[in-house]
Amino acid sequence: MPREKYKDKADGLYKQVDTYNLVENLETCLACGKCVGNCPVASLSPSYNPRQIISDVLNGDAERWLNSEEIWRCFWCAGCATVCPNDIQFPLLMMQLRYRAVEHNYGLKYIMPFKRFALRAREDGLTFAPSEKGREKIKRYRSNLGATPWPEISDRAKAEYKELFDLTGATEYLNNTSDEAEKPVILKYTEGRIISD
Amino acid sequence: MKDKGETTLVVGGGLAGMEAALKIGQAGYKVILVEKQAVLGGVLGQLYSSFPRWEDPQALLNNKLQQIQQCPQIMVLTGMSITNAQRDDKVYIVDLQGINQGDIRQIRVDAVVLATGFELFDASVYGEYGYGIYPNVVNSLEFEAKLKEWGSGHSEQIPPKSVAFFKCVGSRDRSKGKPYCSKICCMYTAKQAGIVKDMFPEAKAYVFYMDYRASGKDYEEFTRSVIETKHVRYVRGRPSKVLPENGKLIVRAEDTLMGVPIEVEVDMIVLAAAIIPSRGTRELAQMFRAVTDEYGFLEHETFNPVKAGDRVFFAGACGFAIETQGAQYQGAAAAAEVIALFNRDPQGGD
Amino acid sequence: MTEQRVVSPEELFPEVPASIFLFRSCTGSMEYPGTENAIKEVMNKLGVNIVMDPDQTCCSGYLLTCSAHKPEVSLAVTARNLAIVEKQNLDTYVFCNGCYGYNRELSHIMKHNPAYMQMANDVIAKQGYKYEGKTEIHHVQELWYRLKDEIASKVVNPLQGLKVGVHYGCHYLAQQYHILDDGGYPTFHEEIIEAIGGTPVFYKERQLCCGYSVGRGITHKEVMVQPHLYKKFKSAKEAGVELITTCCPGCNVGLDREQPNLTKRYEEEFNIPVIDISQLIGIALGVPLKKLGFEANTVPLNGIINRLGLERGESSL
Repeated sequence: MPREKYKDKADGLYKQVDTYNLVENLETCLACGKCVGNCPVASLSPSYNPRQIISDVLNGDAERWLNSEEIWRCFWCAGCATVCPNDIQFPLLMMQLRYRAVEHNYGLKYIMPFKRFALRAREDGLTFAPSEKGREKIKRYRSNLGATPWPEISDRAKAEYKELFDLTGATEYLNNTSDEAEKPVILKYTEGRIISD
Repeated sequence: MKDKGETTLVVGGGLAGMEAALKIGQAGYKVILVEKQAVLGGVLGQLYSSFPRWEDPQALLNNKLQQIQQCPQIMVLTGMSITNAQRDDKVYIVDLQGINQGDIRQIRVDAVVLATGFELFDASVYGEYGYGIYPNVVNSLEFEAKLKEWGSGHSEQIPPKSVAFFKCVGSRDRSKGKPYCSKICCMYTAKQAGIVKDMFPEAKAYVFYMDYRASGKDYEEFTRSVIETKHVRYVRGRPSKVLPENGKLIVRAEDTLMGVPIEVEVDMIVLAAAIIPSRGTRELAQMFRAVTDEYGFLEHETFNPVKAGDRVFFAGACGFAIETQGAQYQGAAAAAEVIALFNRDPQGGD
Repeated sequence: MTEQRVVSPEELFPEVPASIFLFRSCTGSMEYPGTENAIKEVMNKLGVNIVMDPDQTCCSGYLLTCSAHKPEVSLAVTARNLAIVEKQNLDTYVFCNGCYGYNRELSHIMKHNPAYMQMANDVIAKQGYKYEGKTEIHHVQELWYRLKDEIASKVVNPLQGLKVGVHYGCHYLAQQYHILDDGGYPTFHEEIIEAIGGTPVFYKERQLCCGYSVGRGITHKEVMVQPHLYKKFKSAKEAGVELITTCCPGCNVGLDREQPNLTKRYEEEFNIPVIDISQLIGIALGVPLKKLGFEANTVPLNGIINRLGLERGESSL
């Protein structure tokens, strides 16, 4: 692998990622590694390293993370943010890295199951309601312990919930989410690592 | 020959205070040196060794104590503290009280040098390190006391087989600690780690760092010698968590130079906690109308790094973290300021 | 950091509330309805009135963090739900760490970013709501800790030293301000367990995530979540844990439903039942087992029930 020429497109890309202005203190990162030491994913996945991802974002280099498999592995446990000495909210950065990846048609296979859940939730006013067969078991358990067979959610709640999806453009966004043009993601932060999975 | 009738109050009997008292006293002016503890010496008296020459701090302390004893101008009041101060034209009227006996006095002084020193930030806010929870997690001053105990040859404690030193605990931390760098921890941690290897050659010593700051004469060479000749392992990564397992302590961190999360098993952990001004400094500063910053350190006036207010000077770690030699310099500088003040502004006795 | 991170329970609740708004949890309602019931029963015994509202919908945070959709709809939904609570003039109490994290985070964003607050209010105004940012968001686990002494005084089935391993979950302790304990070394659940007669076990991987929060259990189950949970359960088993408590139905799903798969994959038995801490408090306070809904649990609680010598009641467990 030829020695990488240091790309520094610093100005601009950081803000192109953090479009919601949720991680305004990213430059306070000391690269101390406290986040990585606490990260459950880093201890399982050798190439996942939040500190290195932050470094790339600050340098303005999207080449590694954009089509990487790594950014899809974060558990959002916020163990990093809990120990960070500068309170950098890394999960909120991760959320936006995933949006950028999806906009470029990467990682859609990791979104599609949730598209289905979201569209179903939009109808039910609650998430994770199973299909009809699964509902029978739930209704039975709930009745057995003396609760209403189905949680009490008003029709008004369901209608307004659905309307909020429509009004904020979420329905359109969900319907347009498609893996037709999907491009593959691979482990990218592998330089110098021994990868076994 | 001008009459040297002025009296200076020096608050704090650590190295900075002792040095200031000595230089003022040896110049012929009266000094009242007030110290809260029962003995003089401050943190200097707690040290087992020093950097960068591995000299015995007791020798320095004894040298100062001897000079103080030989200087008739200096009156030493130990076990006493300041309860109040009032300004009367160019003089401070100061109330003192004995800590135990309740001995009460009032003195009139023409200048004040504050040299109240530092203490360590309470590391128990870092639940992830377990200070105050696991018995073998101590801070650097507590560890220095252990070094003294082991060094005396009379200790009954089993020496550790492995020690981990965490730097920047409370320093460079905007979240739970102080944003500033405490300046001396990189050097004293190297010193402590080096001593562990000298005392117990079979033991392992690890220093977990973000940076190591060695800016001073012979400092870099000192730190390198600890790494290269005493074989202390330096791991770049601020530790994330300490977990107990089978009577030992597991340190979880990332080796950032390799980019790999690691777990290291040790017997004892030493936290280089942040340096904060000793308690009571802020109240004392207020009594003398001196300015303190948001962390409680004394703030100096423009163009004058040891002056904190009108006829009030300061020296040592009460102004900011400083090492032994620096405290000595500052003590002497504050003394020079006082002497210059007295010669600029003649004052008859009282 | 100007606001205080950790506060004492008395600072958080100067007075014990007479009425609380209980925020319905989707996962709780679907997967572990016994949790909600347990909370209602225990609150009844402690004299706290529970209010719920059928107009409340899903907190809508989960699908946001799985990147299914963008924040705008979650902000609007949060604003609408919290506006409904505000109309009742109560504080919001959730019993799911997920609902806690999402509601807290999103309301924090709205309260500190007027642009987002405006955007959310513009949308929900069309439905007749206005969110003012007044209602405080709490988790019932905080109230259990505040009422620890009352709970201890009402114990009828002490747990006889049952070895309980606590799972705090991630999203409560990861918050920045006004939480009961530091994310570094939390102990308040263990104190509650001691108060009801159990023996808390500080197993090594006590603070490890459950792995389910953002749907990695669906996208990366074999490659990430199962090895991860294996570490956690191995550590719990080695420490002798007999029961794990959670305070989040999501964590409960992650830890409970996955155990048979772990047993199959790693050929090792764990058999550690996982229940909500509210259900454990319910057991100790004498709530009939039938009402605690343990038939919804994958790992059966028969061993624990027998150990404690409790009445089973008519339904099977």
